[in-house]
Order: sequence, then C-alpha cells, then structure tokens
Amino acid sequence: MIRTSVLAAALLASSCSSGAQYAQAVVALVDVSGTYADQRPEVVGVIRKGLLPKLTPGDTLIVIRIGSESYSRANVEASVTLDVRPSRANAQKLALASTLEAFSRKPMRTAHTDIRGAMMLGAEYLRETNAGRRTMVIFSDMEEDLPRGVKREMAPDELKGVRVLAMNVKRLGPDNANPMAYRARLANWEKQLTSHGAREFKIVLEPEKLADLLDEG
Amino acid sequence: MERFYFWPTNPAASIFALWVVSQIFLYAARVPMHRALREVGRLLGGVFRVGARWCRGLAAAAARRDHEMIVEMGKGDTEAKIGREFHRIEGAFAKELARYPDLHRKLDDVVTKIDADFQECATAAPAAPGWTEAVAAVAKMPPNMDGTVKKVLEEIQRSAAAGEKKALHEFRETTAKRHKILSSMAPAWKEVQKLATEVSRAVSGALEATKRIDGYMTSYEQVRADDKNATRAIGWNATQLFVVSLLVMAVAMGGAFVNFNLIALPMSELVPSGSRIAGMPVATVAALVIVLMEIAAGVFAMEMLGITSFFPKLELIPRSRRRIILVVAVGGLLMLACIEASLAILREQIVESSTALKASLAGVKEHPVARTATSRIPVIGQAVLGFILPWILAMVAVPLETMISTGGHIVLSAVTGVMHLGSMVCRLGGHGMRYLCEAARHVYDIYIVIPLQIERMVTSGSRQGTVGSVGVRGQGARP
Repeated sequence: MIRTSVLAAALLASSCSSGAQYAQAVVALVDVSGTYADQRPEVVGVIRKGLLPKLTPGDTLIVIRIGSESYSRANVEASVTLDVRPSRANAQKLALASTLEAFSRKPMRTAHTDIRGAMMLGAEYLRETNAGRRTMVIFSDMEEDLPRGVKREMAPDELKGVRVLAMNVKRLGPDNANPMAYRARLANWEKQLTSHGAREFKIVLEPEKLADLLDEG
Repeated sequence: MERFYFWPTNPAASIFALWVVSQIFLYAARVPMHRALREVGRLLGGVFRVGARWCRGLAAAAARRDHEMIVEMGKGDTEAKIGREFHRIEGAFAKELARYPDLHRKLDDVVTKIDADFQECATAAPAAPGWTEAVAAVAKMPPNMDGTVKKVLEEIQRSAAAGEKKALHEFRETTAKRHKILSSMAPAWKEVQKLATEVSRAVSGALEATKRIDGYMTSYEQVRADDKNATRAIGWNATQLFVVSLLVMAVAMGGAFVNFNLIALPMSELVPSGSRIAGMPVATVAALVIVLMEIAAGVFAMEMLGITSFFPKLELIPRSRRRIILVVAVGGLLMLACIEASLAILREQIVESSTALKASLAGVKEHPVARTATSRIPVIGQAVLGFILPWILAMVAVPLETMISTGGHIVLSAVTGVMHLGSMVCRLGGHGMRYLCEAARHVYDIYIVIPLQIERMVTSGSRQGTVGSVGVRGQGARP
C-alpha cells in the first residue's frame, strides 16, 4: 500500500512541471549600423505586427541592438517576459510596443557592425530564460564589420537549440551586381551558425511568414 | 550469385554444375526433407488448431458469461420493476385506505339522508275511511219534491263538491311537497355517483397495476426458466439502450467540449500559474476539473433523486441525509453554473481586449470589427450558455449509468464475435499450412523430377527382371 502511494506520488510529481519548457523565447537583433539604421521603423513595425501578437503568456521577447560592439548589456533595448495572466500580458505588450516606437525614433547610427557579439549576448539571454523554444530573429544586412581589436569567437555550443531567422536581409550595393556574393555570404553564415549548434538557419523575405515560422517552433 | 560459380569465366557451365549438384543433394535428402516438411505441416497445423480451440473456448466462455450477465440483468430489471409497482400499489393503497373511513362515513350519511327523504316522501295524510263513498251515495239519490229533503241533498252535494275540492288541493300540496323532497335528493345522488366514480378509479388503478405486475412476473418467470426468447429480448434491449446512451453521451461530450472551451481562456485569469500538468497548463486542467466536477455533482444529484444507483451505500442512508446531499449537490451545481456564466462574460472581455491589442499593434486606430460588434447579444448568449451547460452536463449521469450497465454485454458480445472469427481464421490457417507443406513437398519432387524418373525406370527394370524370374502377377512397373 505504502509502495503504491509512493509510486503514485512520484508519478504525480513527475507529471507536474514548470511552464518554462513550454514557453517561447525570442531575441530580436536589430542592426543600427550603416545603411541599415534607416530600416529601424520598418523593423519595429515587423516586430509589432509579426512578433508581439504571436507571443503568449509566459513567453519572453528581448530586443538587442547590433552596433559597433554589441556584446554589452547596454545594447539591450527592451526585454519582457509576459505575465501568465492574459490581461497583464496584453498591458506588457502595449508597453513594449511604445518602448520600441521610441527606439525607432531615436537617432542612432554606428560605424561598425558586430553581429556575432549581439548573437552571443542574445544566446546568453536565451539560455537564461530556459524556454523550450528559442528563436533568434536577425534584422540586418548580415555584413559584419568588427572594429579593430574586437574578437568574436563563439563556443561550439553557443547557439545550441536556437533557431536563427534572418529577416529583412538588405541587399548591399555589390550584391546587386553579383548576387552570388550575397548568397555566399548567407551560406557562410548558415555554415558558421549551424556549426555552433544552431538548430536551423533560415532566410525570411516576407514579414507575414515570420509569424507562421514562430508558430512552427 | 557469382561467388558460387565454379568457373567464373564460364557462368553457364557453373550454373549447370550447381544444378547437377543440387539435384544430387536434394535427391539424396528427399526422404528426410519430405518427413521434415510433413512434420512442419503437422506442427503448424497443430499450432493453428490449438489456437482455434483456444479461441472457441474463449468465445464459449464469453458467451456463457454474457448469457449469465443478461439473465442477471433481466432478473434485476424485472425485480426492480416489480418492486417499483409494489411500491406504487403500497402508496396508492395507503392513500386510498386512509381515505376509506371518511369515504364510508360520507356514503353512510348520504344513504341515511336519501333513506330519510324517501321515508318522508312516502308519508301522506290518510283520508277518512268510507266518508267519501257515503257522501257520493247520498249525492246520487234521485231528486225529491220535498223541499227539506231537497235542501238537505243540495247541502250534501255542495259539501261533497267542497270536500272533493279540498281533497284535490291537499293532494296537489302533498305531491308538490314530495317533488320538493325528491329534488332535494338530487345532490345526494350526485355525491353518491361521485364517490362511486372515485372508488371505481382507485379499483381500476389497482387492477391495472396488478396486470402490470402479472406481466412482469411472467417475464421474470421466463428469465428464471432461462427462456431463450426472453433472454434474447433482454440482450437486444440492452444493445438498444447501449446505442442510445452512447449517442446521448456523444452529444453530451460535445456539450462538455463547448463548455470547456468557454471557460478555458478566462480560467487563465483566475488560475495564474505558469506550471503544467502532463504538458497541459494548470488553467486548462482547472477548466477540465470544473467540467468534471459538474458531472460529478450531477451524478450525486441523480443518485439522491433515486434516478440512478451508482453507489449502493448511498441508498442505505436515511432520507434526511439524502436530502442534505441532494441540496449540497444541486447547490454546488448552481454555484458552478454561476461561475461559468461569469467566466463566459470574462471571456468575451478578454477576446475584445486581445482584438483591440492586435489592432493597436498593427497601427489601426479604430478597429472596424470592434466598432460594429457593439451588440451585447454575444455576451448574454455566452453567459446563458455558461449557466445552462452545467445543468445539461449533470444529466449525463443517466446515460452514463445505462452505458456502464449495458457495456458489459456489449464487450462480451464483441469478444465472442472476435473469438469466433479468430477461431475460423485459425482453422483456415491450419488447413492452409498443411496444404502449403504438402504443396512444398510436391514442388520439391517437381524440382528433382529427373533423378526420380531415373530411379523409377531403374526400379521398374529390376522389378520386371524379378517378376520375369519369379513369375509373380500384378507387379508391373508404373507407367
């Protein structure tokens, strides 16, 4: 009898779990360097329309700026973990939307582009959330330009279990003349990120597709 | 294949050599191979036969158990019906018999009154004996010239006429009085008729109940006597009940699903926990628990009302306690219904808020759909639905009980059918295996037909020699 009770209690305990592993964490990396800085209002619009409505109570959204040296907490523009109560979560979403609106209006343009620094910072935040589904959405031209003396070496499991979506990748001037260069750049990123544990690397052209991809997990 | 070639450069020769070797080997191994194939056939046939026997035994056991269950079910059902009828009769008789002294007294009073009125009707003032005839005789005397006599006679005639007139008047008065008495008897007659109708109704009710009991007793006797028609009818009835309760349960499950969806979203506001149970959010589990609680409360309410009998222990408790449990169950249902109605309103608010948020995030200043949907009908509809669904779910107890009680018969019938099918398949498999092994033996012989023909020729040659030398008849070689 006691053995049965212990077994039942153990089963019940094992069936109860924290909701974190079912939650989703999204890190949005927004490039503010060079020509991509002008894209900010459009990027914020995509986050507002495509990302925020898809988040459910318990989910986390972190917006990180890709600047000259991105591996810094100062680059975190907004971070929110939605409350489990839908009404509070809605209020948080509204607050985040206004924060992002302010971010889009702020004059900002950096000389260099430290994409990997922002990725490493985002990966740390994603690990901290302990969420079941982790996604990194990059809004950039994917052309890295590190300042002198800055080194970015990612650990082999830096992006373990993270899904990387490159959204709204802007074509540079030379890309138009030689599309193969653009494709080679993206292929290089895919190879690099998957070698560091990324679950997937995908290019998203249409903002509407982003919501569907987030649903797929 | 090429690995087995004796001469890889010459495949034809190699294949021929392999064929010759196989012929020699298979011819040499013919007898043991035949024996092995026969044994394998017997073994597989035996296995299938055992399987068929097991299936048949299981089918028979299931059918027996099903029959026993049907008989028990029939007995129980009929006993319950008879008990219920007796209970009704007891109630009716207690009521009628309690009223009987009063009824009897009423009847007595009415009859006494009628008797008295009747007696009174019969009494009339007696006429003076012989007086009228005497006066009539005197009045009829022939007229006389004597003035005095004439005067006397005229006086007598006048008196007779006056007496007659008076008698007629008295007669009319008496008749009118009797008519009045008789007319006053009419309500008493009506009362008697009414009482007689009441008695007749009570008696006919009792007679009908007796007839019903007779019918139940007949079917009970049939069930007890293991009458095949009766048990088949009970089995068919159980199947019908199962199908009907299954349909009702399916509809009720649909209602439960609607109910669950109605409260699942607002429950996340009431149960703000990020934890999960078996992968489901606690809010969803809570909504599910509320739906199940409604069903449980319904089961208890139905149990206390005497409609179902899930728990025999509850039937033994006193009536007052049963009433308490009934009140608690119905009260709980009412509370849950109110909670659901409020949750349904909350749900509408959450949905409206989410729609407004999406519109705001999308940069739409005024949401056209939200503006047009200002009607309160959806909110009222959801609230009413939230209030009514728990009561409907509470009634699931009745089909649930029927489904459980008849489910055993259905399961056992299905098992019997499946086992019969299994037995047939096994028997067919056994035959198939035996013939398959037999066919394999023939195929084996066909493959080594050349060595076999050589053997036959050699054997027939030697026999002919033996027959020729010994002279035995009828031992010729086969063609």
